Amino acid sequence: MNAFLRAHPWATLSLFVPTIMLGLVMLVLPFLNGVLLAFTDASPKSRGFAWVGLENFAYIFEDRNFWEVARNSLTIIASSTLIAMLLGLALALLLNEGLRGTRLFRTLIFQGWVVPWIAIAVLWGWLFNFDYGIVNHVLVLAGVFDRSANWLADGALAKIVIISGFVWRIIPFMMITILAALQGVSTELIEAAKIDGATYRQRLRHIVFPLIRNVIVVAALLQAVRLFQEITLPLVVTAGGPINATTTLSLYTYKLAFQQWDFGLAGAVGAVWSGALVVAAGLYAWMVDRRARRADR
Amino acid sequence: MSAIAIGSPMSRALRGAGLYALVLLSLCVMLFPIGWMIVTSFKLPDEIFVRPPTIYPHAPTLQGYGVAFSGTIMMALANSLIIAAGAAAIATTAGSLCAYGVSRSRFAGRTAFMTLLLATLGLPIPLLMLTLYLMFSWSGILNTHLCLILSHAAITLPVVVWMLKDFFDALPPDVEEAAYIDGASLYTCFWRIVVPMTTPGLAAAGIFVFVTSWNEFIFGLAFTTSSSVRPLPAMISLLFLGEFQYRWGDAMAVAVVVTIPVMALFVFFQRYFIQGITAGAVKS
Repeated sequence: MNAFLRAHPWATLSLFVPTIMLGLVMLVLPFLNGVLLAFTDASPKSRGFAWVGLENFAYIFEDRNFWEVARNSLTIIASSTLIAMLLGLALALLLNEGLRGTRLFRTLIFQGWVVPWIAIAVLWGWLFNFDYGIVNHVLVLAGVFDRSANWLADGALAKIVIISGFVWRIIPFMMITILAALQGVSTELIEAAKIDGATYRQRLRHIVFPLIRNVIVVAALLQAVRLFQEITLPLVVTAGGPINATTTLSLYTYKLAFQQWDFGLAGAVGAVWSGALVVAAGLYAWMVDRRARRADR
Repeated sequence: MSAIAIGSPMSRALRGAGLYALVLLSLCVMLFPIGWMIVTSFKLPDEIFVRPPTIYPHAPTLQGYGVAFSGTIMMALANSLIIAAGAAAIATTAGSLCAYGVSRSRFAGRTAFMTLLLATLGLPIPLLMLTLYLMFSWSGILNTHLCLILSHAAITLPVVVWMLKDFFDALPPDVEEAAYIDGASLYTCFWRIVVPMTTPGLAAAGIFVFVTSWNEFIFGLAFTTSSSVRPLPAMISLLFLGEFQYRWGDAMAVAVVVTIPVMALFVFFQRYFIQGITAGAVKS
């Protein structure tokens, strides 16, 4: 440790003050107070509030909508993450072949990552337009559909619209992360396996995958947590419909809070969501820990 | 791929061609939406509502861009710029001080502190918004740039600390120690020596915050009521769900306009973007 910093503890402490203040006031306090709100009937539209015990929780657990929303969120986020992971892995493997022009390819693929969600939302509405959308046109032309599908009017199709938007946006992240991991795999190890006559598939399965598996899983988990927060596509493209089919947990909570102005119910959903996240975070910590222990060995 | 992995020059050439074909195919699929957005933005309504769709605008028009560069959208763009720049300044300043502290001292609970920071990224945003809304409303800063600047700075701060800690860790402490021995104070040393040596890291962090704020949608929608404050994504969503409905050419032009600033940043600072992205996932 730095001798100066040890000699000046107060100056050192002051380095942390802005971050801790901002974090406490803008993140920790709103989180704790949000959980407290779950036990009240608070609303910005009414003065004062009353404690209602577990009523809000009882209400959402009995509400069919809540379970439907939870299930839909899981379906949408799990499939988006999985598909993006597989496609990102495929692209990363392709880029890792050392073809000429790889850098340009990486840069171009990466463009998707910087397109703002709102632009994707507007664009996806147009791509999947019933009458004049290019997706319908191509699918009918290719003979996949007999006639144009009304994407936003059918629950399963609307989910596909949202999932495809999510996948398109996070593929670049998956690709870059996995590529970074692939480039960390020792070439000597690969060459040795080649000399021993291992085929491409064998090398992938027995050498490369075991080495990058944790990075892939952690990257996927990270994206899944982020997608749970994502609200632009469901709100703008489908408005959560038809009949909740694309209402994710974040949109559901937002609607409870800022359309119905029921902060109590919204707090309860947020609290349950946080509880689920604690489990996910535990899983994450466990995996990071396992990876660290493996690296030590 | 595997069937013709090693072998004659002929099969190797075939494999190369196959790989390039795959590369081209994935490029087409990934870039198509962006291309289609641009193509549509130059079409007149007559050409938008036709079947089959035309591949390129036969009668290119700037009509959509006339709408995109109108007063409402430009005001929202200015709001977004102010908010993103403000958030980047606050988060980078606070985050760099904190990251420097974490990097250079060895207090107990250092790892726990960093893990806690990372954990805040998972806190449900809509849950936080309840109290933020009440707080902003009580303190009278609801519907101001300030409340969005603070919100955006807060949600990006944990990542900024993580990114910058890596940069400070990589910086040899010898120079700072020499400065301390010469009698420099902590903050003099920080601003005069540490900051100039880590400008790439600070740029990466600043860009990360700027882009995140530029993209952020739901705070901008919930915490603003007037168009003199409302940032671009929230403004676009209101227009798109309202008067822009079915005006696809205009909507696409606006989508292009909201994308251009971040894409331009990306083209110039690509390296920093990628650092920001892999910071949390590959290391940690």
